[in-house]
Amino acid sequence: MQSLRTLTVAFLALFALATGLTGYATYTTARRTIAMLVDRRIAAVADTVLEDVAPGDRATILARIDTLSRRRDTGDIGFELIDPRGTWLGGNVALPRRPPVGLSTLHGTDRIAGLSTGRALVRDAGHGLRLAVIAETEPVEGYGPVRLRNAVIGFGAIALVVLGGTVMFGLLIRRRIGDMRSTAEAIVDGDLSRRVPVPAGGGAFAAQAVAFNHMLDRIVALMTSLRHVSADVAHDMRTPLARLRAKLERLANDATSTEQAAALEDAIAQCDALLAMFGAVLRITEVESGSRHAAFATIDIVSLAADVVDSLSPLATKAGQYIAMDAPPALTVTGDAGLLGQALMNLAENALNHTPAGARVRVSIHATGERATVCVEDDGLGIAPADRALALRRFGRLDASRHRPGHGLGLPLADAIARLHGGALVLDDARPGLRACFTLPVAN
Amino acid sequence: MDLLLVEDDEPTAQTLAEELRALDHRVVVAEDGAAALVAVERDSFDAVILDRMLPRMDGATVVRRLRERGRSLPVLMLSALGRWDQKVDGLDAGADDYVTKPTPAAEIDARLKALIRARGWTSTEAETIRAGDIVISPTQHRAWRDGVALDLARLEFRLLLELARQAGGYLTRAMLIERVWGYDFEPTANIVDAQVLSLRRKLTGNGGDDPIVTKRGVGYMLQA
Repeated sequence: MQSLRTLTVAFLALFALATGLTGYATYTTARRTIAMLVDRRIAAVADTVLEDVAPGDRATILARIDTLSRRRDTGDIGFELIDPRGTWLGGNVALPRRPPVGLSTLHGTDRIAGLSTGRALVRDAGHGLRLAVIAETEPVEGYGPVRLRNAVIGFGAIALVVLGGTVMFGLLIRRRIGDMRSTAEAIVDGDLSRRVPVPAGGGAFAAQAVAFNHMLDRIVALMTSLRHVSADVAHDMRTPLARLRAKLERLANDATSTEQAAALEDAIAQCDALLAMFGAVLRITEVESGSRHAAFATIDIVSLAADVVDSLSPLATKAGQYIAMDAPPALTVTGDAGLLGQALMNLAENALNHTPAGARVRVSIHATGERATVCVEDDGLGIAPADRALALRRFGRLDASRHRPGHGLGLPLADAIARLHGGALVLDDARPGLRACFTLPVAN
Repeated sequence: MDLLLVEDDEPTAQTLAEELRALDHRVVVAEDGAAALVAVERDSFDAVILDRMLPRMDGATVVRRLRERGRSLPVLMLSALGRWDQKVDGLDAGADDYVTKPTPAAEIDARLKALIRARGWTSTEAETIRAGDIVISPTQHRAWRDGVALDLARLEFRLLLELARQAGGYLTRAMLIERVWGYDFEPTANIVDAQVLSLRRKLTGNGGDDPIVTKRGVGYMLQA
């Protein structure tokens, strides 16, 4: 599909060509028609002059020429009679050039006083006498330039109207498309309430906007219902789980043996893991609803990341791992501090949980133009390219990680948070290990 | 303390009331907002524990009504959905603190005590804070124990500051996560215990007793 601009240019070129051809055709047709009418007239006049004249009767011919020259309706016609040797015998004009027998065209170059273009008819009057009848094909002086000017003004006005109309039409279409695009982008950014403005007065654009808005209503309804279902499930599971946990806790307090107490502690830990999982589901739906967009502020992402690294560093050291940071002294971005802290914490915890003792985890931040890139990378086994999409899906835990701590929602949650900030979580090969990166809008 | 627990789910209300009584509180249960408003007029309570989602009148409306009637007693709001916008709504309505269910009774107990202690404060942010032989200057970001300057990392300093502000009272892990880290989620890794451990090492580096008390299942307290 060509761009709107290409289509417009092609249309205007075709229009100019058609206008030019029409102008040319009109011009030449008019000229030919006039020539044809003039031809008929001079032929009729010549017939009148030579009617019933005996061959070679020059006196009658000259008398008729004289009569016709005086008449109002034929007074503009030129006559010339010459003998076989080319001697001028009479008439009201003397032609410097002898036109051939029959019809021919006269030009300004023929140097006939008062004639710029015209037609000539030469007839044989018997005994070698030649009668030439000439008439102008221009009704007024300088008719050609006048016609050209009229054509330019007429067709030029049409061309201007079409050009202006095309530009306005293009702007209108561009604005409508722009409205739709900005609405779609706002929806993607989490503002689910945005709709395309419906132009007043109905018409195709209004119908289009209404149809587009209907589609958005439907999408939002589906998204909302999906979110509600997962939020409702998570919520309704939390309440009975909380009761179960409270009951287990009371039993643990009254435990009579250490084995019993240990078993109950284990059950409580499993309850907590389930609660954490439902908490993460609720958090993902909250992030995806886009409601936290309203509370975006200017924050220093480096200080947030430093808190995460400083918090996990003692735990990493205990496990024989190493976590460090590579970042400028400060970098302000626009975002939600709580959520970005959670995304960084999830990614760093994920890296530490999936690598053995001796592993090195690096949190890096750098600004590239309008976006800041935040990466967490480790030197563990990484995730095979084919499994990366699955790793970002809710509950899409890879088989190898099922026995590890965590609820399998760390990466999907970090992805949802990255998307809220206008990016996405990208998993990559750190050669060796996993690199998880996302970008944030740099604050001005 | 005399507590009013407003909770419509009866098993949850019973369990929580029982646990709070085990922590030496007297608990009255109200099952909806209207009953809660009546109870507050009739008896005097030290604090209200209020569920966010109640039939007919929701928790935020109940707090608003209480505040409109000039009742300034501490209100701790509980919510099953730990949603940020609901938390903002609840705090805007006049609640003093907001926690996500399921909340252990010990957590509620610690938070209520912290709320009541906080009401006794008259100090401003800029003032030097003292807890035992520990002195903290929040503006200078410096702390001393027994006159000797402490070399604390950023998180350690913020942790000591929060503990000192509540000296003599327990702060739960969840409260420390909120106040020291500013997070509204609980990381899987036990980052609080790790920071407390390194803070303890630095506080006792030049001798002296460990001023931080650990209470299992509750949290940490800096001795006053």
